[in-house]
Amino acid sequence: MRIRTVALLLTLFGMLIVFNFAHAQNAPEASEKGKEVYENSCAHCHGTEGRGDGSAAENLLPKPRDFTRGLYKIRSTGTGELPTDQDLFDIITEGMPGSSMPPWDTALSANDRWEVVAYIKTFYDGFKEAETSPKQINLSGKVAYSEQSVETGKALYTELGCVECHGNIGRGDGTSAPDLTDEWGFQSWPANLTQGWNFRGGSDTEDIFKRFIGGLAGSAMPAFEGDSFPGFGLTAEESSRMIELDNKDEMTEAEEEESAQLYEKYDAAVDIALNLAEGTELSAEEQQIYDDAMRVVYEKSWHLANYVKSLMPEKRPEPAIGNNVLRSQYIQDELPPMDDAAWGTLEARYFPLVGQIVIEPRQFNPTIDAVNVKSFYNDTEVAFLFTWDDRTHTTDETDEETGKTLEDALAVQFPVKVPQGPTAPKPYFLWGGRLPVYLWHWKASAPEQVTELTAKGINNAEAQAAQGELHVQSTYTNGQYTLWVKRALKTEDKKDLQLEPGVFVPIAFSAWDGANGDVDTKRVMTSWYTFVLEPVPSSKRFIYPPLIALLSVGFLFGLRAFVQRRNSEEI
Amino acid sequence: MKSYLLASLAILFACCCVGTAFAADSGSGEKEMLVFPEAYKAMNVSNGGTISGVVKFEGDVPEKKALEITKDEKVCGADEKFDESLIVGEGNALKNTIVYLIDISAGKDFDKKAKIEIDQMGCKFTPHIQIVPVGARLTMLNSDKIMHNVHIFSKINKPVNKAQPKARRKMPLQAVKKAEGPVEVKCDVHGWMSAWISYVPHPYFAVTNEKGEFTLEDVPAGDYKLGYWHEACGTNSEAPVAVTVAAGGTVTQDFTLKLK
Amino acid sequence: MKKLSLFTICLIILVGSWVFLRFVVGGIISVPIPGSVIAMYMGLIIIAILVHISVEDSLFQEFRRPILETLVEDKRRNHRRVLVVLIPLLLLGYTYSIIAQRANPPGSPRDAHPSPPLELTYKDEVIGTMQDVVNPFRHYEKDDPEAFSAHVENGKRVYHQNCFYCHGDHLDGQGHFAPYLQPLPANFQDPGIIPNFQESFFFWRIAKGGPGLPAAGTPWDSAMPIWENTLTQDEIWDVILFLSHYTGYQFRTFGEAH
Repeated sequence: MRIRTVALLLTLFGMLIVFNFAHAQNAPEASEKGKEVYENSCAHCHGTEGRGDGSAAENLLPKPRDFTRGLYKIRSTGTGELPTDQDLFDIITEGMPGSSMPPWDTALSANDRWEVVAYIKTFYDGFKEAETSPKQINLSGKVAYSEQSVETGKALYTELGCVECHGNIGRGDGTSAPDLTDEWGFQSWPANLTQGWNFRGGSDTEDIFKRFIGGLAGSAMPAFEGDSFPGFGLTAEESSRMIELDNKDEMTEAEEEESAQLYEKYDAAVDIALNLAEGTELSAEEQQIYDDAMRVVYEKSWHLANYVKSLMPEKRPEPAIGNNVLRSQYIQDELPPMDDAAWGTLEARYFPLVGQIVIEPRQFNPTIDAVNVKSFYNDTEVAFLFTWDDRTHTTDETDEETGKTLEDALAVQFPVKVPQGPTAPKPYFLWGGRLPVYLWHWKASAPEQVTELTAKGINNAEAQAAQGELHVQSTYTNGQYTLWVKRALKTEDKKDLQLEPGVFVPIAFSAWDGANGDVDTKRVMTSWYTFVLEPVPSSKRFIYPPLIALLSVGFLFGLRAFVQRRNSEEI
Repeated sequence: MKSYLLASLAILFACCCVGTAFAADSGSGEKEMLVFPEAYKAMNVSNGGTISGVVKFEGDVPEKKALEITKDEKVCGADEKFDESLIVGEGNALKNTIVYLIDISAGKDFDKKAKIEIDQMGCKFTPHIQIVPVGARLTMLNSDKIMHNVHIFSKINKPVNKAQPKARRKMPLQAVKKAEGPVEVKCDVHGWMSAWISYVPHPYFAVTNEKGEFTLEDVPAGDYKLGYWHEACGTNSEAPVAVTVAAGGTVTQDFTLKLK
Repeated sequence: MKKLSLFTICLIILVGSWVFLRFVVGGIISVPIPGSVIAMYMGLIIIAILVHISVEDSLFQEFRRPILETLVEDKRRNHRRVLVVLIPLLLLGYTYSIIAQRANPPGSPRDAHPSPPLELTYKDEVIGTMQDVVNPFRHYEKDDPEAFSAHVENGKRVYHQNCFYCHGDHLDGQGHFAPYLQPLPANFQDPGIIPNFQESFFFWRIAKGGPGLPAAGTPWDSAMPIWENTLTQDEIWDVILFLSHYTGYQFRTFGEAH
């Protein structure tokens, strides 16, 4: 009896799990409830009519989705297909990292989210008119991550032209990057593939695979499904042979024959793929050719996804607080210059940047993710190595609206006087106020120079009359700036920050991406962090611990002797 | 006198017919679109008439705008490229104007042998304007041997955004089912590249050449509305010109367009 | 099976309790427990063990027997050798880790909700005393629901053009800029926020922002902007209406039964 009850309960429980998690759901019929939730939680960005023109939209980039066109970036379906209901539900639930779309998992119940899915679909008639359910991308042939696969993917990355927008090593700095727009004409930056945490649809290998196969509808990212691949219908060897022959300046007759045959096979496979897409029934033989071709293409795509995955750290680095606070490392010798291998021994500290939205003009849509910092010091000097990703190298552009000169820049901010004690006030984090700040201001147009500023407010900064001796080096390669600054720990100038080992010093950053319209107060920034010149560890650490160990040995022997003596006395 | 008559006729037609034509077709409220008949039946046309004419530009011809080649200089920058949205030739001849019949419901079939292609050569689409029959495949050629992507900004049909990597010399695209146009074609990799295609349900569409000339042949005898579309000068969809074609006859209809 | 000695049992209890506190309670069940709290519990357990073994003389004898045996008897020679190495090594490691420990950055003690000034001002204009000023549009809630919802709607617009970057779409302090600000933006969905303050307090915090915090609210870390530079008085009052309307929480009032 009892066993039966348990079995019954287990079955019920299992069914519950299956229904709740494993089963991809469909949205209910659109209802008043969905409209109510939409208007309450979504309309301020996406607009009451779903055109992506809510009151908040003006300041946002990427723009909120316009639901009236049926174009959705994040889908599990092929190119040109609508998303599944589950896709829409997942995006609402998980949000879109790197954009203003937040996850709604805690704010809205699952039921409400389904209602919203149903309501959103009413904005585009295509959902109603669709005769068949959208064709999903087949994920079954996943190729496991391996060095070999990454290598293959890397070659495809170049061959397929990913570099044009995403850049040589994926920092989104390709030569086409600055000119990309989306379907609605708004600027659309290609993803920085080294920052998986900003991928709108997630950065799992499967996610990358789906974006690549299906494209990001409405953006400049094309789909690479099936016949987009050079040599569709050929085996991997045949297609590399085809490309090899193509690149020859002159072909022998036999080679020409061979090339023509390969092209014939290629064209035939493309024809079959198009027939299928246009709704023509395929013969068994054609179906076989198509399936084989797709197998090759999908395998290549998995290699590419593995390569992209290899470009990014496993997760977003932790910001430089707590255990990750920036500690300048002491060395006895000369401080290493910018390209010295010594910098490789330090782990960079991560300072995430946010838009400056306090003072007009404001920056609501940052393009620089973070500044990474390393530091060494010796008895007289300190050196910092700052790196940050910027898709474009801008030194002298003119802002069309304001006529101001736009260029990339970085400012490092310190208080003039280090606050003594935890309750002592710091200067206001936005370039000071009542209390002044001391700044290093670097501009891309003068890459070997840093200007010392004193500021008492974001619009109240001036270059110091007496510029101290700062050593500066910088480069811009593959979408990344590296800036090296060296200064004496102590200076004569009263307006400069004076540094001392062991003292925690507030530090903050501002950065400008000229191509994103950053100028003056329109910038990205951090609030206050701290750093310290890590004191040389006390030499006591080599004296006391061995002493204590020695004493403990003595104690143990003493104890034994004592017990022995007492035992012998007792006998 | 003749133009006065034509104008009044045109207004009359506009009042009577265009409204219904608009309601019947594309469904998109945009005015810069071509107008298509609700249904079209292909048949044999014997002893059809011809409509021909010249399209001219009126007004100050703006200076040619050179395009800024920002990448792939070697392939794309071999010769100087100019904005193609307005090409005015000798005698103010206006190139790249689509001239077409708005309200034809039966006529000849498409020329099945005609190649429907756009080449990407020197990072430029050739031709700049292409007419694509509904149900036919547009083939994108890549003579550049560099990466392009074909981005067709359809609103009625599914938008297309397909990569055409350097090794892809010829890429046929899936045929579409609905008439639509003109639709812009862009290459995101080379942002300056631009072309226009129109998916059309019948073959009575012509694109003017360098001399501004167009010809529509094998038109069954009858009364028609003649429309035009030009990228920079707009359309006359709201007031198309009426033409009467006699069996075996030739009608001449010229247009003079201004910047919109 | 051999019966465990009292000493072994005590050792197991001691180690077991530590593992339980550190990893089960402070890991699987709940958030990690601070080291000092664990040390306190462990102290209690040690005292309990000491009390237990010292209740009877026989128990104490039994407890210390293994210790004495290990110290002197030949059959425990190997135990002894291991311990004479292990104990000094552990002590060595422990003292080294204490001495070589790195300094940690200073904490930032601050009063999250400092007392407001007596007078509420907008720019330099005095609106009234902090205690008496009420939201000028609040009365519409009863008098003119239509006007009220117009004000709420405007507050919603202002909120989503200015505030939601940090305070979030859902007013839960989890906007997309929020994770990288110290301190974190206020969470209006927290039941301890709105019901504990008058609307005038919110007006003050919005108008004056981080720089307007009194000394108790330092050290000046709040990234809250000075909104009186950007928003009108009416806009601020509208946002305040929106905050309570959207979250469903009522602001604290004076002079009414509350």
